[in-house]
Amino acid sequence: MDNDDLIGYFSEHLFLPELQATTKDDLLKELVDQFVKVKYLKNSDIVLEMLHQRERLGSTGIGKGVAIPHGRTTSASDIMIAFGKSKQGIEYDAIDNKPVHLVFMIIAPPQDENNMYLPILGKMVEILNKAKNRTKLMEAETFNEFIDVISKG
Amino acid sequence: MNLLTSFQRGKLVDKQKELDRLVALQDLDMMIEEISEVKRLGFSAEGEAELTKAREDLAAKISKPLLYSYEKLKKRYKRAIVPVQEDNTCLGCFIKLPTSISALGRTDTSVIYCEGCGRILYWL
Repeated sequence: MDNDDLIGYFSEHLFLPELQATTKDDLLKELVDQFVKVKYLKNSDIVLEMLHQRERLGSTGIGKGVAIPHGRTTSASDIMIAFGKSKQGIEYDAIDNKPVHLVFMIIAPPQDENNMYLPILGKMVEILNKAKNRTKLMEAETFNEFIDVISKG
Repeated sequence: MNLLTSFQRGKLVDKQKELDRLVALQDLDMMIEEISEVKRLGFSAEGEAELTKAREDLAAKISKPLLYSYEKLKKRYKRAIVPVQEDNTCLGCFIKLPTSISALGRTDTSVIYCEGCGRILYWL
């Protein structure tokens, strides 16, 4: 999968450069509420339940200030990715116990065309493993700047 | 004027809860299926046993006939419950649902099966 293939899964409506949440629970709710607000999802309770269960499996805080909460849910019809950024950091129980600053929430339907969900998840991990990408994402203030980092990352 | 009696309202809430539980069960099943894949991507998965237990606990709260129907459909199709798109298309077999079914699905909370593929329908 190329970086450019990822671009179509982002939306300016799901770009939150100043997250309000300071805890994991509030963060998951803030992002899911945004999906609902822009009508990409209808039932926030079902999706939140799935995301909390996913955290029981293991924290999606992958370290270095990054979290990628993700999962398939019956209440989604397409793959969608929300991006959120927190300058102050969020207590997330990440694997390195450090606060999270960059969050990518990936929501996928039960079955997606061409089975893109896992390749997308893998590509996001690959991009976020690079220190220069994390720095640039922290600096990105507009959606266009953000997309530029993803496409070149 | 609300035409439903409190008994009818109670029944509707119960049905909705059961459908929501079934959806949560399928979401858990999909997560459990993909554990090895997410581990391969570098995510931790030390809570696998806890998740399996959560699945068992949730399944115990669903009525036996409905759970049986879910498991049977899961064996056949992998995904027993499929979303219905806004244009009333079943996302399992991609047939357009008859108006009678789609109207019922949007207003009632009963468990409704697709006439085309037999999967359980979930209105988005």
